[in-house]
Amino acid sequence: MKEIKLFLGPQHPGMHGNASVHMYIDGDIIKKAYMLPGMLHRGFEKGMERHSWVNNIGLIPRVCVVEPDINEFVFAQAAEMMAGIEVPERGQYIRMIILEMARIITHIMAYGGSGGPTGNYTVMYHAQEDRNRMLYIFEKITGHRVYHMYIVPGGVRKDLPAGVEDDLNEFMDDFEKRYDDYRALVLENPSVLKRITKTIPLPAEVVWELGVTGIGMRSAVNKPYDLRKVKPYLKYDKVEFDVPVMDYSDAKARIECKLIEISQSIRIIRQCFAQMKPGPVRVPLDHGQAMRWRVPKGQVYSSCESARGEFGYYVVSNGGTNPYRVGVRGASYPQGLLGIEKYLPGTRLDDAALWVDTMGVCAPEIDR
Amino acid sequence: MMNSMNNVKEIISTVEKNFDLLNHEIIDKYQVSLIVNKKEVHHLLVFLKTNGWIQLSYLTAVDWIEENEFELVYIVFNWDKPVHIQVRTRIERDVENASMDTILPIYPGCKYYEREVHEFFGIKFPGNPDYHKQLILEQFDDLPPLRKDFDPLAYAERKFPKRDYPEKFVNLEGKESEQAKRDITHERVEKLRTGGTKK
Amino acid sequence: MKSTKFTNYTAKEADAKWWEIGNYFRRNSIWMLMYCTGCGAIELPPAMTSAYDMERLGMGPMATPRQADVLLVTGYLSVKTLRRIIYTYEQMSEPKYVVGFGSCTINGGVYFDSYAVINRLDYYIPVDVYVAGCMPNTESILNGFVDLMGMMKNKTANGWIKYHENYEWYKANQIQAVGEVHVHDEFHE
Repeated sequence: MKEIKLFLGPQHPGMHGNASVHMYIDGDIIKKAYMLPGMLHRGFEKGMERHSWVNNIGLIPRVCVVEPDINEFVFAQAAEMMAGIEVPERGQYIRMIILEMARIITHIMAYGGSGGPTGNYTVMYHAQEDRNRMLYIFEKITGHRVYHMYIVPGGVRKDLPAGVEDDLNEFMDDFEKRYDDYRALVLENPSVLKRITKTIPLPAEVVWELGVTGIGMRSAVNKPYDLRKVKPYLKYDKVEFDVPVMDYSDAKARIECKLIEISQSIRIIRQCFAQMKPGPVRVPLDHGQAMRWRVPKGQVYSSCESARGEFGYYVVSNGGTNPYRVGVRGASYPQGLLGIEKYLPGTRLDDAALWVDTMGVCAPEIDR
Repeated sequence: MMNSMNNVKEIISTVEKNFDLLNHEIIDKYQVSLIVNKKEVHHLLVFLKTNGWIQLSYLTAVDWIEENEFELVYIVFNWDKPVHIQVRTRIERDVENASMDTILPIYPGCKYYEREVHEFFGIKFPGNPDYHKQLILEQFDDLPPLRKDFDPLAYAERKFPKRDYPEKFVNLEGKESEQAKRDITHERVEKLRTGGTKK
Repeated sequence: MKSTKFTNYTAKEADAKWWEIGNYFRRNSIWMLMYCTGCGAIELPPAMTSAYDMERLGMGPMATPRQADVLLVTGYLSVKTLRRIIYTYEQMSEPKYVVGFGSCTINGGVYFDSYAVINRLDYYIPVDVYVAGCMPNTESILNGFVDLMGMMKNKTANGWIKYHENYEWYKANQIQAVGEVHVHDEFHE
């Protein structure tokens, strides 16, 4: 019985991002596996100590490239918790719209990305086209396609321009008409179904041992454990939406949860537009100039529910113009590092890339 | 959710009865922080885990160089009574041998967090099988990077040479440079403000 | 009977003529290596799929470095990735080209003061075309590829020749930044 060493290395067409998984295989079954992060390390936590509080907004979205708005929101929420600032109502609704739009494009990209490991390239083309249309709308609101820098401590930078509501309504109506086509491409496609039913199931006890959050937890434990319902932030207690749960978590259940969450996000955006009223969107900070703003002493942990799980920043302030220490809790830390080491041995070689895609392992969040 | 302020007060009163709490702080109705001694951390975490706080959210450290101490932070969460609890403790800032016993038997998810804290701060965790192996950095040859006495700009200038942009401008009208005048004024102001002794 | 006229070419001129013909075929079907080294790689999928179709220019993705023409360095390079990029660049077969995306390859970008990111890419491997921006738009990327095709036509895209001629200088720079180009992680021992 010989074991062969194999790299699902950094340069690989089936890998999402620049990280590698090292495996020892025997035939087709994996015997030992672990992930090697660190190729995208930039020293963010040290860099954030060298810039002031408002200056950091230009640096922070680059922590996670697929969904950059959650970084700005969590940092701004931490600074507001320590300084005791309350954001005006219209600013909170606009923040909710931006966060839900970011959730839609991340789930669309992951749904299309499941075509790589299973050989189903058509759904990838559809998904990238839809994502590109949403990036045009982001450019209209914030000025940049990918790194928005729009949510600042105190509110949002500017009000929505005219015509955004019509563009978003056009996108959402068009998506809902083609919802059944998306379902038929992956979830009812007989050539793909054999690859995704009853493969890599995640049992419920393993979830608490690893510390997994997000879709992996909700589909295994069968309870709506979502931070937007359990400890609502912004105005999530005033809108109605459902959280999908399943009772057997294989790859098909996780992919299906992503599609259902997209339609619930569309519902939230429509209700936000109906409930918004005109008003100010930003609270001016002390000292006139925002660059010399000081935050009082404190140590807080602020968190939000991203598309992959619980995402949080631990911020320590010393009373100065720069943060003293910022610690980033990436949402895909448990399922990427510990999940691959404890859970992949015993599964087949072709399912390693499928695990990385359905559980939502995003390499820049782990390395920062 | 309606009685979450009661949740927080209930936690503080139960913990105060059974343990020796140095300080506590209520941040808002979903977060509280408890500060204890180094010896009590394991007992407190076992008590919290048996009472429902079964998810370890984050484990990290802070370097207080002026007080000569490291501070370790453990954050746990309960989904049924939603409160984040921060458990904080201080250990002394020994440059070679700062160490803290591992919590691997209580929360198995802490394995990689402790490995990363060792790599960036130099704190040892006896009991964790591979805490000394490098995870994110590779063949790093200087102080552990997140300590306050490591200067990243000096390291970057020493090892990675920059692109030089030579100053190529021509003063066409023959006037004297406004920027040079501003620099002289700025230097005078600095000297007056710091009394001639600029750090 | 008239004899066919042969013009006399020297060996060097004939070689140059074959290179011109080869360049025509090479620049109309460039194969790109799929390696997402940094955050600029998020603007590549719209270029590869139906949004801004790159296949009408003749470009397509390729899985292994032995058969690829272009290496795209999309964004910043950390020290750990630089070791693997040097392996990959030396495995590609010639002629080969390098395109650097984003401001981080030009002068360090937002991470100029970081202990893990390099500041200037062309001290370590030779670069032919730079595309500026943070991050560059998908249309700028396609513009950069068209520029690369123009350079191939004018025979000015010769980074790989420079790597041969100045090999000692490149190696000295690599060792100063990275220490040792051999990869030592726990998998290789």
